[in-house]
Amino acid sequence: MSHSPTLEFVLGLAMHRQIRSPWQKFKQLKRGYFSLLILAGLIVLSCFAELIFNSKALLVSYQDELYWPIFSDSIEGKQFGLDYEYETNYRQLKKTWQMDSSNHNNFVILPLVPFNPTEVDLLDGLYPPHAPSIENQHYLGTDTIGRDVLVRLVYGFRIAIFFAITLLIVEYLVGVFIGCFMGFLGGAFDLFFQRIIEVWSNIPFLYIVMIMSSLITPGFWSLVLIMALFGWMSMTWYMRSASYKEANRDYVLAAKMMGASNFRIIYKHIIPNSISTIITFIPFSVAGGITALTALDFLSFGLPAPAPSWGELLKQGVDNLDYPWIISSVVISLSFVLMLVTFIGEAIREIFDPKHKVYYE
Amino acid sequence: MNNTHTGQNMIGLSLFEPRNDSKEYGQLAFMLIFLIILITPCSSQAAKLPEGLTWLTNNASPEWSSAQAEKGGLVRLNISSFPPTLRTVGPDSNNSFRSFLLDNQLPLVEMHPNSGEIIPVLASHWAYDDDRKTVYYKIKPHARWSDGKPITADDFIFALKFNRSKSIVAPWYNKHYSEEVVDIIKYDPLTIAVIGARAKPQQDLHYYYSIQPRAKHFHQLDKNWVNRYNWKIEPNSGAYQVGKIRKGKSIEFLRKTNWWAQEDRYLRHRFNADQVLVKVVRDPNTAFKYFERGELDIFNLTLPKLWHEKSNSPMFQKGFIHKLSFYNQTEQSASGLFLNLENKKLQDINVRKAIAHGLNFNKIIKQLLRNDYQRLPSFHTGYGDYSNTDIKPLSFDLTKVSELLNKSNWKEKDSRGIRIKGKQRLSFNLSYGNKLHEAQIIVLAEEAKKAGIELKPQYLESTSFYKNVIEKKHDIAWLGWSTGFRPAYWQHFHSDNAHKPQTNNITNFANKEVDGLINQYRLSTDEQERIHLAHTIEKRIADESIFIPSTMVPFTRAGFWRWLKLPESIATKSSKSLFDPFNPTTGGLFWIDAKVKIDSLSAKRSGNGFESSSVINTDYKN
Amino acid sequence: MLGYILRRLLLVIPTFIGITIVVFTLTRMVPGGPIERMMTAYQMANQQQSSHHSIAGNTLSEDQLQQLKQYYGFDKPIIESYFEWLGKLIDFDLGQSTRYYEPVWDTIKERLPISIFYGVCTLIITYLIAIPLGIYKALKHGEAEDFATSIIVFLGYAIPNYIVAIALLYTFSFHFELFPMGGFSSDDFDYLPWQDQVWDILEHATLPLIAYISGSFAVMTFMVKNALLDNLSAQYVQTAISKGMTFKQAVFRHALRNSLIPLATHFGNNISVILMGSFLIETIFNIDGFGLLGYESLIERDYPVVMGILVISALLTLIGNILSDICVALADPRIRFGASNA
Repeated sequence: MSHSPTLEFVLGLAMHRQIRSPWQKFKQLKRGYFSLLILAGLIVLSCFAELIFNSKALLVSYQDELYWPIFSDSIEGKQFGLDYEYETNYRQLKKTWQMDSSNHNNFVILPLVPFNPTEVDLLDGLYPPHAPSIENQHYLGTDTIGRDVLVRLVYGFRIAIFFAITLLIVEYLVGVFIGCFMGFLGGAFDLFFQRIIEVWSNIPFLYIVMIMSSLITPGFWSLVLIMALFGWMSMTWYMRSASYKEANRDYVLAAKMMGASNFRIIYKHIIPNSISTIITFIPFSVAGGITALTALDFLSFGLPAPAPSWGELLKQGVDNLDYPWIISSVVISLSFVLMLVTFIGEAIREIFDPKHKVYYE
Repeated sequence: MNNTHTGQNMIGLSLFEPRNDSKEYGQLAFMLIFLIILITPCSSQAAKLPEGLTWLTNNASPEWSSAQAEKGGLVRLNISSFPPTLRTVGPDSNNSFRSFLLDNQLPLVEMHPNSGEIIPVLASHWAYDDDRKTVYYKIKPHARWSDGKPITADDFIFALKFNRSKSIVAPWYNKHYSEEVVDIIKYDPLTIAVIGARAKPQQDLHYYYSIQPRAKHFHQLDKNWVNRYNWKIEPNSGAYQVGKIRKGKSIEFLRKTNWWAQEDRYLRHRFNADQVLVKVVRDPNTAFKYFERGELDIFNLTLPKLWHEKSNSPMFQKGFIHKLSFYNQTEQSASGLFLNLENKKLQDINVRKAIAHGLNFNKIIKQLLRNDYQRLPSFHTGYGDYSNTDIKPLSFDLTKVSELLNKSNWKEKDSRGIRIKGKQRLSFNLSYGNKLHEAQIIVLAEEAKKAGIELKPQYLESTSFYKNVIEKKHDIAWLGWSTGFRPAYWQHFHSDNAHKPQTNNITNFANKEVDGLINQYRLSTDEQERIHLAHTIEKRIADESIFIPSTMVPFTRAGFWRWLKLPESIATKSSKSLFDPFNPTTGGLFWIDAKVKIDSLSAKRSGNGFESSSVINTDYKN
Repeated sequence: MLGYILRRLLLVIPTFIGITIVVFTLTRMVPGGPIERMMTAYQMANQQQSSHHSIAGNTLSEDQLQQLKQYYGFDKPIIESYFEWLGKLIDFDLGQSTRYYEPVWDTIKERLPISIFYGVCTLIITYLIAIPLGIYKALKHGEAEDFATSIIVFLGYAIPNYIVAIALLYTFSFHFELFPMGGFSSDDFDYLPWQDQVWDILEHATLPLIAYISGSFAVMTFMVKNALLDNLSAQYVQTAISKGMTFKQAVFRHALRNSLIPLATHFGNNISVILMGSFLIETIFNIDGFGLLGYESLIERDYPVVMGILVISALLTLIGNILSDICVALADPRIRFGASNA
């Protein structure tokens, strides 16, 4: 099968006790299963985006010598007999060599879409944004500055999805850790964090992010941090209830009597028992992460220009409704990805839900 | 209140605020009187005009309005946001709406928009003192406030007090009218003198020490002034007064039916529309739609996309809406890249020059701005004789970049093609505070990579950006300064303002020799000498490559419905807009042809059309 | 129960102070407050301004800066000015907007009718759609009808409402020109006869309302459906049917009532949503509501308004939470308070 081995591994590892059945069940839920396959495929594809969406050539053969520009340092035009000292323009190089009838041995193999996400392609006699065109190889057109929409969508997707995943990991680590201790230890520790959570979850999150990102020019990691700062509560709250229940179970009490440390009990008993629920949360956190980043970029409080981003494209689209290719490509892609994630989420819920029903909250 | 208060200010206050309570506070009053006598021996109530003044006026310059102009009609304009206040000073008064109000507050004199000669407005005559600091004015006796009260010397004296008052919460005004304008003296109800702090060439005195009267009977200066006068309509001297206000939606201006100046030379045949309606339309795309539907009469078409692309719609093609572009010669905003000399790498002049040569403004102008805009030549462009027109900006030239960088040992390149020296990379943050510049900045950064220079765009929301720049925390900042009447070097390039926060020398440029030149420029009263000094300083600054000029717009252009008419000469050399309704020098030239309007509207209904019109006027093209 | 409510109400106070103090502190830390905004306006080039009015652009002295700080209340330490603010709040004084120079409450009051209009309409329509649809889906569970409606519900669930708003704006306002591009009403609203006024508002409200509803109806529909399914499989319904009640009767007499409990718990949370709306939707459709006010005041550094909105939203959420619990208790006599806080 072509499904991603890593994901199976993660799911499998997470459910070491129930290793066969959930994955088998998941495979039977066709909608979720295919969504997962497509999404995993997209993620893998985006990881190798440089090979498919790039202004650098895959392979150049010049005077019987082979060059691999994508995998090497920037190669100056001089190297290929051109008259400039900066990074070669491979699209032009290809055209020049094709036009030159005396040239037989030299050739350039370009990636499928020969543009990079920050590159401005200004065509002679035309002004950006350029409409979609196969001839110019801007399959979804360009944005208002002249950057390829498709390429920016792909790189933007990569950033968004990894942003969401990183955010999720940070939030869950913090949430699980604090939540378990709250439920397990109880008392003053619990009360203290209860209040903090109550206060924290009532602070308008976007407000704070906006304030923070005018304080510093946000980068990938600082945005993750800021958003995690306001996103750890729901997981904490869930883990608190879970460990609160577990803490009074016989086996935990027995383990305590036998002198197991708190940390060990949490690690050995409480977390494994909650893992299935944590997994059901994952797709919804991913969707939330993507949505939030897009919204921030849309309001220009997110990643700084010229980082490729869906929110930024969305903003451009809304400001320039006369150029429908911008707005429609980003709205359709975003809806598509979020649908995939939702289908996966629904399927995961279904396999872990004893009543075999769909819950959304 | 504040013990750092200068004595100068105290004098100002005690002079112009006669105390009524002196009997009750005998001692205090005695001391005050003593002080006044001691410090200002000449401040008797009826000051006497110096002998031998030559009173000047100007009735000979050509007028620029059209005698064919007819009064009447309605004109509708748009602004993007509703003004937060109707005050023209104090917090948040500096909004885009303020010029509508201020333009209806006439100055004493103005400069002729074509020839630059002084022409009378509120004052009928003026005279210069030999000290080169003082100008005497005779106020036109028929000048009236909008409520019918005459405009007198007291309103000017009050204006000074007003502008110095802490109640208006406008420290820039406080500062300017304390440090620059020293005093205003009343000789009789219609004669005053304005005294400036420093000697200047005669003509320049009008500008440096200009003051507009404030209606004394209207204002009550106290702690609540800012709040109380937020939505009050201040009496004015211009042709229009604010009419109906629909909060958040529109503000109406109505022409005064018997305006006192309507027969005065230079003001007649102008300000013709009966009603000017300023509508708030937040989104520019929506505004353009309104314009095409005929709900707005005029639309600014400066943006290339508007002029070239969007204005090809039926209403333009059928000749209902005309297009007009007019080259002008006005002061240009000093807009471009400011290199901070606190950055070690930027202290090297070769690096600065390399950056200047590595910025491909030509490409921007050609491919983003459709060759409409031009490269800004130098910091002070469009300042008439004061501008040094010999200066040419450095152009994109990779060979020169290479030479310069090699000279300073930035020889190696890293894997991405960026120059390195040891462990240092030739990489800078390029901060900006206006999203409109983003496209240009991204293209520049892409092109600079070819030169082996990395410019990392860093957007900061505009207030944070300003703070960052004014505290000099930037590497390179992209911004534009507002313009003035004469070049201003001290604030931007004098070492007094370098290396300290909250000053406008954002390049931290400090050079003894240039300091000397700037000081000379500030003190000189000889126009020719000042012009010469300005040219020299401008050249020195350009040679340092601390400011890399970006682009400028050498014209103004607009679309308008065909019933709007303009004089034959269209506009003036210094017109910043073709259909400015109120500006005392260049505004109010258009009128509405009622007959054409009726014809056009009926033609529109029946689906007919006219010949389309798109005119580019180059009378004042350089 | 009264004791419980009282205790919960008392707990609101420390939480409220916590929330406001955090945001208050943050607004003080941000670079570029109203003072910097003022300076920017004075110094930077602005296309729309004529030059001859500009005062020589010199910078301010320490003394003058201090004067400005005092005007905007930035001259005191954070804690001191926080308590000053809190003291005023007790007198129902939210201070003065640093952008409009009028009391914050007036600024907020102006936007209230618009936000309440959208909030209430959204809420009513959401319930009107979600409850029947949820019941329908539960009754047809697993059948083709259930599957077909699921697609719409999924779309609504997966796609954030601001994306829906953008898609609607593009398709129906821009492309087909069926609806206005935004705003709450037309420019000439005041001059229209009342029938046209109603029509005008409806025309402007249609798209934003669809966007609002798309965000909330999916969750509600699923809640109704799941709760109803739960109850239908419960013993008492089975018993009722076996005693001769028709399935329909069983559903509407017994199961439905219990299935609405989760909706009741949700109701409290909706209170704050009614008022706050979504500033993204308001930005996109250019509606002068509460959300847009909050967003703009933050952008324009109008901190008194920011704090004023925070006060209202925080109070609404906190009280909404308590209301939720009370609603649950009223709807379900089995739930008792104070037993466990897990």
